[in-house]
Amino acid sequence: MAQLIDAAGLSLPISRRGFLAGTGGLLAAATLAACAPGSGGQSAGTSYGLLLPGDVPAQWDRVRAAVNAKLKADLGFEFKPEFINWTNYGSQSLLKFTAQENFQTALSARWLNIAQLIESGALQPLDDALASGKYTNLTATVDQSAFDANRWPDGSVYGVPAVNSAARIHHLIARGDLADKHAPGGIETFDQLEKFWYDVVQKEGLPGYVNRNSPFDVLGAPTGALYAQGWETPDLLPLYFSSDSLLFVPAKDAATTGSADAVPFWEHEPYLESLHRVRKYYEDGIINADRLNADPATLKALFDGGGAATCWGISDGGDTSSHLDLLEKAVPGAGLVSLLPFRDGLSAKPNQTFQADNLVVVNAGAANADAAMQLLDWVSIKENHDLLQYGEEGTDWKAVGDDAYEPIGDYANFPGFALSWRIPLERTYSRMTESEATWFDWSKKYENFTLDPFASFIPDLAAIETEHAQITAAVTEFGNPLFAGAVPVEEGLDKLKKAVDQAGLAKVQEELNKQADAYLSSK
Amino acid sequence: MTATETAPIRTTPPSAAAARPHDARRRRRHRPEPFTIASYLGVGAFGLVCLIPFWMVIAGSLTAESVLSQRGYSFWPDPFSVDAYATIFAGSRVWLSYGATIFITVVGTAIAVASTSGIAWVIARGLPWLSKPLAVFTYIPMLFTGGLVPMYILITQVLQLRNSWFAVILPLVIAPFLVFVQVSFFRGTPQEILDAARIDGAGELRVFFQIVLPLSKPVIAVIALFYAVTFWNEWFHALLFISEPAKYPLQLVLQNLITSVANAADLGTTTAAPVYAIRLAMTVITIGPILLAYPFAQRYFVKGLTLGASKG
Amino acid sequence: MEPPEHDTTSPLRLRTGGGETDTARQTPAKAKAPRSWRGRDYGLVILAAPAVILLVIFSYGPMAGLVVAFQDFNVADGVFGSPWAGFKNFEFFFTSGNAGRIMWNTLFLNVLFLAATLGAGVVLALMLNEIRGRVTKRFFQSVIFVPYFVSPIVVSIFLQAFLAGPGGRGGLVNDFLGMFALPELSWYTEPGPWPWILTVVKVWQLGGYMSVIFLAAITSIPEEVYEAGVIDGASRAQMAFRITVPLLKPTAAILLVLGVGRIFYGDFGTIYAIVGDNGTLFATTDVIDTYVFRALRTFGDFGTTAAIGLFQSVVGFVLVVIATLVQRRYARETSIL
Repeated sequence: MAQLIDAAGLSLPISRRGFLAGTGGLLAAATLAACAPGSGGQSAGTSYGLLLPGDVPAQWDRVRAAVNAKLKADLGFEFKPEFINWTNYGSQSLLKFTAQENFQTALSARWLNIAQLIESGALQPLDDALASGKYTNLTATVDQSAFDANRWPDGSVYGVPAVNSAARIHHLIARGDLADKHAPGGIETFDQLEKFWYDVVQKEGLPGYVNRNSPFDVLGAPTGALYAQGWETPDLLPLYFSSDSLLFVPAKDAATTGSADAVPFWEHEPYLESLHRVRKYYEDGIINADRLNADPATLKALFDGGGAATCWGISDGGDTSSHLDLLEKAVPGAGLVSLLPFRDGLSAKPNQTFQADNLVVVNAGAANADAAMQLLDWVSIKENHDLLQYGEEGTDWKAVGDDAYEPIGDYANFPGFALSWRIPLERTYSRMTESEATWFDWSKKYENFTLDPFASFIPDLAAIETEHAQITAAVTEFGNPLFAGAVPVEEGLDKLKKAVDQAGLAKVQEELNKQADAYLSSK
Repeated sequence: MTATETAPIRTTPPSAAAARPHDARRRRRHRPEPFTIASYLGVGAFGLVCLIPFWMVIAGSLTAESVLSQRGYSFWPDPFSVDAYATIFAGSRVWLSYGATIFITVVGTAIAVASTSGIAWVIARGLPWLSKPLAVFTYIPMLFTGGLVPMYILITQVLQLRNSWFAVILPLVIAPFLVFVQVSFFRGTPQEILDAARIDGAGELRVFFQIVLPLSKPVIAVIALFYAVTFWNEWFHALLFISEPAKYPLQLVLQNLITSVANAADLGTTTAAPVYAIRLAMTVITIGPILLAYPFAQRYFVKGLTLGASKG
Repeated sequence: MEPPEHDTTSPLRLRTGGGETDTARQTPAKAKAPRSWRGRDYGLVILAAPAVILLVIFSYGPMAGLVVAFQDFNVADGVFGSPWAGFKNFEFFFTSGNAGRIMWNTLFLNVLFLAATLGAGVVLALMLNEIRGRVTKRFFQSVIFVPYFVSPIVVSIFLQAFLAGPGGRGGLVNDFLGMFALPELSWYTEPGPWPWILTVVKVWQLGGYMSVIFLAAITSIPEEVYEAGVIDGASRAQMAFRITVPLLKPTAAILLVLGVGRIFYGDFGTIYAIVGDNGTLFATTDVIDTYVFRALRTFGDFGTTAAIGLFQSVVGFVLVVIATLVQRRYARETSIL
């Protein structure tokens, strides 16, 4: 027997001691578990958590220390943000609310899960605090109309809009060098834009416009990069239970008749025309053919690498900063220009709801909602705001004029949109192109827009949850290929109609109209 | 020769077997058989299919972003660029996170192998009123999981393991799949050796430690390897339970880096990072160390693999 | 030499045997009589305890949360406070017109993946076993294990480069087809080939992983087993297929049963990374997990998600019970449950 055991090599290092080391580790784990501090050592004073999306910014420890030093001196507490990467932010924040975790504020919005949170009573209404007059810095930097536009149907305000412009307009970012070459007269209308695309495809062999699939590219709200009508009359905002589901078009005279009469998007002639146009662009090579499966990073890289004439942009001041450096590196001498080919130019007055894409909400389960409001007020002071968003002046950035900054250090990418964005306080990137600066300034002013008749209409999905989920699935399967131009319009539309009918379109449409009519009559 | 019930093993007394296979092998070396040739070709082809994309990952991670975004791949790093690595290694985060990952991998694998081997042996013992119930008990978690919310509440509130690496380790230390892989190997343990030991008065523990474990090195190496890979790649539990950036494991740091860079495209925040190359560089960075560790596990199950070769 | 036949005589046969009288045969531990445990020591309890404790805490504990499958889940009320909803959460999936197709896809793809990866694992292990030379062997083993580390995102990037090219036009495969004057294919809008493309990806990713398991099994085969074959002058192919392969059956059977239990769980990681929201491919690639993920991502509803998960588990459970019964009937010796 000894021979057998020996043949197997008893002398090799898997021994009882090794095994015990393993089980010993288990015991150690249990012990450690028992003594592990709840959430990191807090040596002195109170420290409040908050949820922020994205990655930890470079140099964060240093900047956080500076912010905390000042916070402590001013308010007597510190803050301790927790960063959750974007892909998981929605589910993780929901989980933390569900687990009744102790954090003060979080980012939420309709495209995240604010409806669910409000319905569950997980968010603190802010009306009393805002009316108390204690938080003057906050109320001075966030327009009252912004609060009003984001009022929930129950009449309360549940979040501070963290936006840096009054309205975000979908538009295009074009290669300035290519525009100069192929459209020397400038691109001011959609026709000129289309001609530019065809020229670039024919003469440069580059796709005209790259973006991943998005219904709003094709069915503008009120503008969309590929939606010609939107640049003529930017006055239509579709209604929807959620933006990845079916879009409905309300009657043009809804505000006067009091009857929304919303119909599925395909019954709206300009939208239908836009579907045909996109199909044509797909076949002519104007748009990228992988809209359905390419991820945004890939397409951004394609544009930044000089592989396309235009890409998608939105008026939040990021057109230049997100593309220029990389583009210049890949294509020496390249430039950027922000294109908003409104027929009426700066006086277009597009419709807007002013609903914020980002709302900073206060956790109702948090230990101290007052402190949360104090923090939101504190970051509304220019000095504090600058420190948080741009870092330490002189080390991380230097001022250029009154309202621009030039980054000189590594600190960047603080998610201000989840805490501190305030229209009057935002500094712009010092290299921002002239065209972007013009349009960004324009988009900061509420008077440049028309308030949509359905501005603060937020439909409640409770009655049709199952149907809605199934319609969403049908839109992903049959709608997206249409929006990408990947299938013939008639054929694709037939499939979509059949699928959503089966999923309960009639019921959902009826529910939407019922709620929309109620909204109109309440105004 | 009598066959056995589970059939994996049949032996003649070892002494008799020792010599001839050696001769046989030596003889065969001179005339390779068709199957051997086919094997070389097959493994070679599959190896190539595995190697080419891997090479493309390495080459791509060192290629300038502009070329990558135009073509989507690169066979040769031209123009050469280390931007992706520079972005990833900016600051000390990635280096720090190696520490966390190594801790999680080493401690996790040790606990996992120890506890998995223990239960696997008890299941493999075939005691009717102990082993079967345990097998079912172990199998059920493979089918039913409680989901995210209860797990989260358990770890953060009941066990108070927030920001502890054990929050990442403990939920993963018993993989039913690997328990059963090990059970199937333990069942092949030669019975007469066990019986001999018992006659000598060895208890269950001694039998396990002095006979079963030493005889099971190949499978333990495999199990350890698989657990190590699981722990090395783990980021989701870290995302859930580790909120202090200084304690992030490597995969979470990289995961965050990627999604933030990727989402920068959507959000218009300032970034000048090469997104394409970063994803490839991240693959290289994460594969590197575990690939270096691989040969250590390998020596246990590559040893004496040749047909008819003697282990002697 | 023939493959060893199975001996189905009483497992108690060896009870009184003891080591000395029985050295010529080896019997697996499974057949060991219970005698040795009772009244002797609690060693086995000690051995099983760590795993049992861990499973109770980290697997069985959270299972209490399965109740949310029957609740109208509410964030503020949490897992145990939410109101009951009966089977309402199950409606969503089953009332969708797609349930049949999606379940079929899940089943079909999983069967494909399981068969292909197991097959590839066995074949690779057999072939690796033929490779001589320590360095060569280690090199190849390492190489075929590498794809396991490549994340689905990177796989998806390369697939797009191969099949679609930048901007979705061209791509390596189409360039290749073009060289032979074959028409280009718009891969990402053609659902037909995708089950096979995904299977190739799975084999590429898991072939090496599976081969490691089988290689370890081959390692545990004592060389004496081959002796008769060597004497008879059997070819290496004969030895591999007549001796080695039958001895790998128990391992393969266990992997198979384990796979059956999860057959209703779609391979979300791979499929979603590659197909994503590309609706044109759903006809053949949409599985339960991707469907649920998409339909519920905007309004993450823990209740519905839990309900679908429970359904998948219960079906898996039923299938495993069936598989185990079949196994007990026809191949008792490989049964694990």
